[in-house]
Amino acid sequence: MTKPDEPVPSLARLSSGISGLDDILRGGFLEGGVYILQGSPGAGKTVLANEICFRHAANGGRAAYITLLAEMHTRLLQHLRPMAFFDESVIPKSLYYVSAFNILEGDGLKGLIDVLRREIKGQKADLLVVDGLVAAQESAPSDREFKKFINELQAHASVSGCTVLLLTSGLLRHVSAEHTMVDGVFELEDQLFEFRSERSLIVRKFRGSGFLRGRHSFRITDEGVKFFPRVEAVFASASQADVLSDVKISVGVAGIDKMLLGGLPAATTTGLIGPSGIGKTTLGLHFLSQASAEEPGLLFGFFETPARLCLKARHLGLEVGKAVDRGHVELLWQPQRENVLDELAHRLIDAVRRRKVKRLFIDGLGGFLESATSPQRVSRFFSCLTNELRALGATTIFTMEVPEITGPVSRVPSSGVSALLENLVFLRFVERGSILNRLISVHKVRDSGHDPSLREFYITDHGLQVGEAFAGVEGVTTGVAREPASAAAGTPPAVPNT
Amino acid sequence: MQTILVVDDELGAIEVVATALEDEGFRVLSAANGRHGLEKLTEGQVDLAVIDFMMPLVDGAALGQEMKAHPVYKNIPIIMMSAVGESVVRERFDGYTAFLRKPFRISALIDTVRRVLA
Repeated sequence: MTKPDEPVPSLARLSSGISGLDDILRGGFLEGGVYILQGSPGAGKTVLANEICFRHAANGGRAAYITLLAEMHTRLLQHLRPMAFFDESVIPKSLYYVSAFNILEGDGLKGLIDVLRREIKGQKADLLVVDGLVAAQESAPSDREFKKFINELQAHASVSGCTVLLLTSGLLRHVSAEHTMVDGVFELEDQLFEFRSERSLIVRKFRGSGFLRGRHSFRITDEGVKFFPRVEAVFASASQADVLSDVKISVGVAGIDKMLLGGLPAATTTGLIGPSGIGKTTLGLHFLSQASAEEPGLLFGFFETPARLCLKARHLGLEVGKAVDRGHVELLWQPQRENVLDELAHRLIDAVRRRKVKRLFIDGLGGFLESATSPQRVSRFFSCLTNELRALGATTIFTMEVPEITGPVSRVPSSGVSALLENLVFLRFVERGSILNRLISVHKVRDSGHDPSLREFYITDHGLQVGEAFAGVEGVTTGVAREPASAAAGTPPAVPNT
Repeated sequence: MQTILVVDDELGAIEVVATALEDEGFRVLSAANGRHGLEKLTEGQVDLAVIDFMMPLVDGAALGQEMKAHPVYKNIPIIMMSAVGESVVRERFDGYTAFLRKPFRISALIDTVRRVLA
């Protein structure tokens, strides 16, 4: 008998084996628990449950998959065969497929509970999937009988330590008796956003454990199911403490380092704002060209392939390709398809962690924004993402494209995001005398002074070079510089405040 | 008229197989698992058993073993069917006459049945 002061042993976990899902569940299902996995047809229940079974079997566990539906598991196995997790060698020794449809039809819930109990025992299963709970509910003569069935199943699961997943379509009443009885309720959805759709999971209930609340995206590919815990939930607190230092990181252009009074503060995030073609990627390549074994670099880009970036760098006299060969820089290209916002973030964070990246260039913010199906998330998402990047010690530069090629910047891209960035650098085209000049200006730097002047810069065969202050003219921010009226009248121009 | 026992836990599979065999002039007995299959064997002479490998309660391998150990049923030829490969099935039970990998064409079933009964 357990003494009152003896610690109650914590419940053992059964890993789902699914990337990201155990993070959402803080370690996996609780052994011997009964869980409802619900969602409309096509939401991904069957694939998810099957992958959990195959992963479980691959890890030495034993699972039984029992369907109450009229569909044939021969067909089901055919559909699963192309998926990476499918391994026929585990069937039937470690993973057993049977249909209990006939038994349910003939013997009702009593016959079904008998089959489930015998299969748990006979197959020595520590994981049981029952596909088609709605069929069991429909065959129940009363709600009371159905509750009794769930209760008996819980009792068998508990004493045998077998974790049970009950799969059902979204046809059950939203809050019904079985929802209150089981240990957890997981809801899968496939939502349409205009033309694209995105799959997601919501954990409605998970007894005996913390979990990440809210909606989490997931994707089904030939590799299987992959969950992407929502960034705002998983990084609500950064994974490690933010280390503050006075170290400055060179951006790789002497003139810009001078404007920044030595470089960018380490482990901060910088917005590099400017129109297309102004030189944002060029500046990023300079930043990465300074990467080393001690300061590994990463380019996380949406627009140009790694091969094109290396070629571009070579034309600028920057040896980014060699840095890649030496392992000092990694170029991760994200083709602009229907990306999932959290998937991008996890891919980024994983890449930063994997190589302990210190110089991170993200080209650019637009790639993330276009992946966001819920614009209201964006500010909070970037707040958590940049907090984590800071905590990991990465000095990050984001490019942020403005639509105006010349002229005043009418709208800062995603103003909610730019407010989160500690440093802001503007690049702009300004016309003077029928010539488009490139100008750079620093708008803010965390805890540091900076050169407030607008300076001309050039992109040459030797890379980006900063020139003198763009002095003696006015109207620069309108995109068209002109001689001051006083100069036109013969008065010397005012001395700029540098 | 020859009698064929079809044992499969999947209702759809039983219906398809039974209908195809009846169309060919056979009498068909059907059962949803090995335990029911054993009961059906007592209902009269069976000339051939078409058995699914994975079933609840008593599976195809266990049914096959029981039949081969029984003085009356041991000579009934068995066609084993499964969604998994034959090597996996053979590890558990190798007393069958023919094997059909699911899914199969009805023509393959009929050909196999006729060959085994010839």
